[in-house]
Amino acid sequence: MKTLITAALLLVSASAAQADKLDDIISSGTLRCAVVLDFPPMGFRDADNNPQGFDVDYCNDLAAALGVTAEIVETPFPERIPALMSGRVDVGVASTSDTLERAKTVGFSVPYFAFEMAVTANEKSGITSYETMKGKVVGAVAGTYEAIALEEQVKAWGEGEFRPYQTQADVFLALSQGQLDGTVSTSTVAQANVKSGSYPGIAVVGKAPFDTDYVALFTNREEYGLINYLNLFVNQQVRTGRYEELYAKWIGGDVPSLVVPNTYR
Amino acid sequence: MFSYTFQWKQAFAKLPLMLDGALVTVEIALLSMALGIVLAVALTGFRLSGNRFLVAVTAAWVEVARNTPALFQIYMAHFGIASFGVHLSPYVSLLIGITFNNAGYLSENFRGALKAIPDTQARAARSLGMSAVQAFGYVVLPQMLRIAFLPITNQMVWAILMTSLGVTVGMNFDLYGVTQDLNALTFRTFELFALAAVIFYVITKIIQIGARLIANRLFRY
Repeated sequence: MKTLITAALLLVSASAAQADKLDDIISSGTLRCAVVLDFPPMGFRDADNNPQGFDVDYCNDLAAALGVTAEIVETPFPERIPALMSGRVDVGVASTSDTLERAKTVGFSVPYFAFEMAVTANEKSGITSYETMKGKVVGAVAGTYEAIALEEQVKAWGEGEFRPYQTQADVFLALSQGQLDGTVSTSTVAQANVKSGSYPGIAVVGKAPFDTDYVALFTNREEYGLINYLNLFVNQQVRTGRYEELYAKWIGGDVPSLVVPNTYR
Repeated sequence: MFSYTFQWKQAFAKLPLMLDGALVTVEIALLSMALGIVLAVALTGFRLSGNRFLVAVTAAWVEVARNTPALFQIYMAHFGIASFGVHLSPYVSLLIGITFNNAGYLSENFRGALKAIPDTQARAARSLGMSAVQAFGYVVLPQMLRIAFLPITNQMVWAILMTSLGVTVGMNFDLYGVTQDLNALTFRTFELFALAAVIFYVITKIIQIGARLIANRLFRY
């Protein structure tokens, strides 16, 4: 009996020592996802204040695949990394661009979504395309892929001004008020906000010639077990048609390919 | 659980950019204090004037400045004013917001300082033949500023720290704005914000020590 208990204890302690994040999630029964809920249609709150959107559904799917309950942790863009590092969330499903610079800090899955960038302008600004933003006051949401690219572009143009705002709502408010002449955002977000009617006097005027913005799930850099699982999960979402289904539900139109031509993944 | 490998080298490489931002932060704080002191003296004058309208202006200003979050004041200076068609740059919005806050707090400090100066001094100055303005300017005001000197430096420290709220109105070249931009680029959140905190601490400490030295020199009895 005694040896049996010792053996059992040994087994428990051995497995505890080796438990990685994937194990922790499965054994805790909860998957905590960082989701940005100020970013429709990827993440937002409905009239009853419930989290909704592509990223929310994606997190729920992931939790279902893991056999655990999903917990949506609202995380503004600038707080994604503190939330992950302090252990408040397990995985980021937060439309996060997989830049090489960031990959030095966190571990990314393969891309689970791809954005195209659109230019939205105040109708009085005279902006009719991406190029006509030169010399104007432009802005975007601080910390996003498009903000980084647009700020670089303004610097390259050498005229005009770039302003990062903290939330997508503030960007469109500033645009509607005329504080900003133009903005670059993901085309999905641009269309959703223009259509919402909350921001009069703005219109989508064209595409921004940025590289396609691939966004990936992220977790701690060293959690290979979990990253491996996330990669397969993204693959399965596409394979089973769920990606297409979610795209039709929240965005509509042509489903962007997640495969970069002529590369390995 | 906190699993994170600190990479200080990556953060230190950005230090020059952050120090440039710190200069902007100090500049905004100094400007907002200079403007705030002038406005606060005016507000204190309003309150003393006995004119019902001017007293009401001061009362409203002080109430709003002291009893609402600085974040709200700065946000209103940008998005609030803009709804009337006036478009201010983030820099100017931030400056107005902090100046508004400074003036409200300082005018209360000045009021307290005035109370500490006996009425008899102004009366004595008047009896020497000074006009009311002269009596205020030569006798009361210097003493008021002396008594309020340390509260003024406190407000200066507060002004430095308030500049960090500029990010809500699109400010990206002050210390906090620069830090947040770099954070978005590199995701080195903890290193960058730790550095920013140290820079803020050093700036405010310099102000406090400097103020003490100045006070020792100016206010020796």
